[in-house]
Amino acid sequence: MDFTFTEDQIAFRDAVSRFFMTEAAPEQLREVWETGAGRSAALRKKIAEQGLTALSVPEAEGGLGMGDIDWALMTQELGYYAIPDSLADTAYLAPGLLAGLPAGHALRAQWLPRVVDGSCRIAIGHPVNPWVADAHLADLLLMAHPVADGCELHAVPRAKVELTVLPSIDASRRLFEVRWHPDTETRVLDGVAGAPQWAATLDRAALNVGGQAIGLAQRMLDLATDYAAQRKQFGKPIGSFQAIKHHLADVVTEIEFARPVLYRAAAALAAGEPDASVRASHAKLACAAAAWTAARKAIQVHGAMGYTWEVDLQMFMKRAWVLDAAWGDRAFHRARLGAALLDAETLPSIGPGTTFA
Amino acid sequence: MNLTETPEERTFRAEVQAWMAAHLTGEFAALRGCHGPGEERFDAALAKRWEQELATAGWVGIGWPQAAGGAGLPLGKQIIFHEEYVRAGGPGRLGHIGEQLFAPTLIDFGTPAQQARFLPGIRAGREYWAQGYSEPNAGSDLANVRTRARLDVERGEWVIDGQKVWTSWAQEADWIFVLARTEEGSQRHHGLSLLLVPLHQPGVTVRPIRQMTGGAEFNEVFFDGARTEGSLHLGPVGEGWKVAMALLGYERGVSTLGQQAQFRHELDLVIAAARANGAAQDPVLRQRIADAALRLATLRFHALRVLGAGGASHAAYTAKYAWSNWRRDLGQLAADVLGRAGDVVRADDAARTRLQQVWLSSRADTIYAGTNEIQLNLIAERALGMPREERKGP
Ligand SMILES: Cc1cc2nc3c(=O)[nH]c(=O)nc-3n(C[C@H](O)[C@H](O)[C@H](O)COP(=O)(O)OP(=O)(O)OC[C@H]3O[C@@H](n4cnc5c(N)ncnc54)[C@H](O)[C@@H]3O)c2cc1C
Repeated sequence: MDFTFTEDQIAFRDAVSRFFMTEAAPEQLREVWETGAGRSAALRKKIAEQGLTALSVPEAEGGLGMGDIDWALMTQELGYYAIPDSLADTAYLAPGLLAGLPAGHALRAQWLPRVVDGSCRIAIGHPVNPWVADAHLADLLLMAHPVADGCELHAVPRAKVELTVLPSIDASRRLFEVRWHPDTETRVLDGVAGAPQWAATLDRAALNVGGQAIGLAQRMLDLATDYAAQRKQFGKPIGSFQAIKHHLADVVTEIEFARPVLYRAAAALAAGEPDASVRASHAKLACAAAAWTAARKAIQVHGAMGYTWEVDLQMFMKRAWVLDAAWGDRAFHRARLGAALLDAETLPSIGPGTTFA
Repeated sequence: MNLTETPEERTFRAEVQAWMAAHLTGEFAALRGCHGPGEERFDAALAKRWEQELATAGWVGIGWPQAAGGAGLPLGKQIIFHEEYVRAGGPGRLGHIGEQLFAPTLIDFGTPAQQARFLPGIRAGREYWAQGYSEPNAGSDLANVRTRARLDVERGEWVIDGQKVWTSWAQEADWIFVLARTEEGSQRHHGLSLLLVPLHQPGVTVRPIRQMTGGAEFNEVFFDGARTEGSLHLGPVGEGWKVAMALLGYERGVSTLGQQAQFRHELDLVIAAARANGAAQDPVLRQRIADAALRLATLRFHALRVLGAGGASHAAYTAKYAWSNWRRDLGQLAADVLGRAGDVVRADDAARTRLQQVWLSSRADTIYAGTNEIQLNLIAERALGMPREERKGP
């Protein structure tokens, strides 16, 4: 048993962090978000050059063949730098679905190399989400179509969908209502074959959102810690008041207790463990709770400053709030945990007696 | 103690209901559920006409003594008014700062001439006030104000230089009460005065600050050689701190009556949304909603007890801390009840928009009118007499 990351994994994560620090600074992101499309093709190209879009694509298709454990680190960086949805959807969730198709499937050959070189965006329409993120720029939409015996997978070009844009509380989001018609031409997998693929996608997505939530929590903590050192009241940095110290100590405690849950879930997904879904739900809940706490405490530490548009904290708070309900809200994931713990014939390994499994 | 509504109170309730039903109509219907400046749909001219409509009917200054031009209504009737006002969808009160914070302080500390000059304008819904306390370096540490005022003896006027910040609704106000240092070289809470300053003059610049909600409810207010008459200090010169604190007492006290009615209304909106979208079936949310209702009822009993006893008790210190936490939690509850739909802003879904506002605006409750941390220090140090944390302060 080894619950740590390799030096290579850490080094890659650090490189990605340095890259986003210079290429995706808050003022640059704000500028991009103010544009109608809300996304920068130039930034995406640079991201691809860093190899980020190739992470999940199998080596046979020109990718790096990495998996959920690497993404547990990568998604935290996406959150820390508030990178919009389409990156993880294109580079993590879509390759997961496409690589689940039989070797030699035409769609694999058609799209996976394009994911690698950053020349396409893929949007994902899962029944758990009422809307599809970044559908307006997607070259391809992978859509779920629930049927009596499962859930079909459809590959739909953007020309075949109608979109209505929905403004979000989070200025970085681009959500769309998607109208489309499933037909035999778009169908890739039938209900029986599609169901496990979509189930795995939901778990991966929960892990993705959980990782981003932790990254966001860490960012809000860092912003608040810096602010507490600089802002003076009563002739002292406010960070010298115990009340402020304790707020931020609470946040770091919650983050540190969510991270291992996230990593354990990533390992379960990577190994295809039977209780991976339960672990993914656990991770999403723990990470989202940490992000809520971080947002609440960070704005408190900032005082009225934190309530302004100008101060960057709001960008990260809003992203944390909206991601909280993306890919299954708390009730959804709690219900999955409850069902697994209470209704299943055999207890999952998350229960009593298996604390350290 | 007698908590049953008297026949007279029942008649009064019916009177308020009937008045609201008859008057929050026509052009005023557009104001229903509107909070105030900073909202896209907010129409300041209309909101002021509405204040005047209320004033004409005698609904402004209901708690002021009759000698001051008010209705001198007992607490019970004031509460009834606020409840029915909110229940009918009455909008946020643009006159709030003048009527509820400034006027009672003016009645306590103002000269007869000052009262005669300012109370009628507030009472008639003609003049609006803003609160000029906070500065960039004086938030929680209010005694650190740097805004200066010196007396120009020749012209008998105060000349004011400095900056205030987070000044709510200043963009719609006519006057501002400014906590300023009138004694050169004075420290902390000494040598401060509360000056009454007209906003519409060349020496004053009001610049809106955009909030995370997108709107701009609060402002920066710059004073650059701004002037006001030499007699327009509230309370003695150099003793502004005491007056400013008394005003804060009103801000955290009686003025919260209307707010509590508003809270109840917001909770009802959360409940209605939970029923409509099925969240009411979620066992966890059910319990949180029940909990919110219980805590709100408790807040109300607490307020009635504190206000009935005249305000100045240990219990009074705990009020602000309790309601701000309640509302912050309600904000998160609203977000959780909306669930995944909470993400999307839909102009055509008024109920959802309202809950999103509750959610976002509730992030400020534990900050304005004294942060949670400052309130806890007050409870510990004033109410319990515990040793003070080491800090430079009043
Ligand atoms: C929506 C809104 C409307 C407002 N309207 C007005 C208005 O109309 N007029 C006006 O004058 N002001 C207004 N304010 C300002 C408000 O009064 C201040 O925000 C508040 O006093 C806190 O000051 P600050 O924002 O500078 O935060 P700071 O004082 O910088 O506080 C930052 C953090 O440090 C903590 N802290 C500071 N000192 C201590 C201590 N000794 N011990 C422990 N913790 C401490 C605080 O609790 C807070 O968590 C408004 C604010 C908001 C958010």
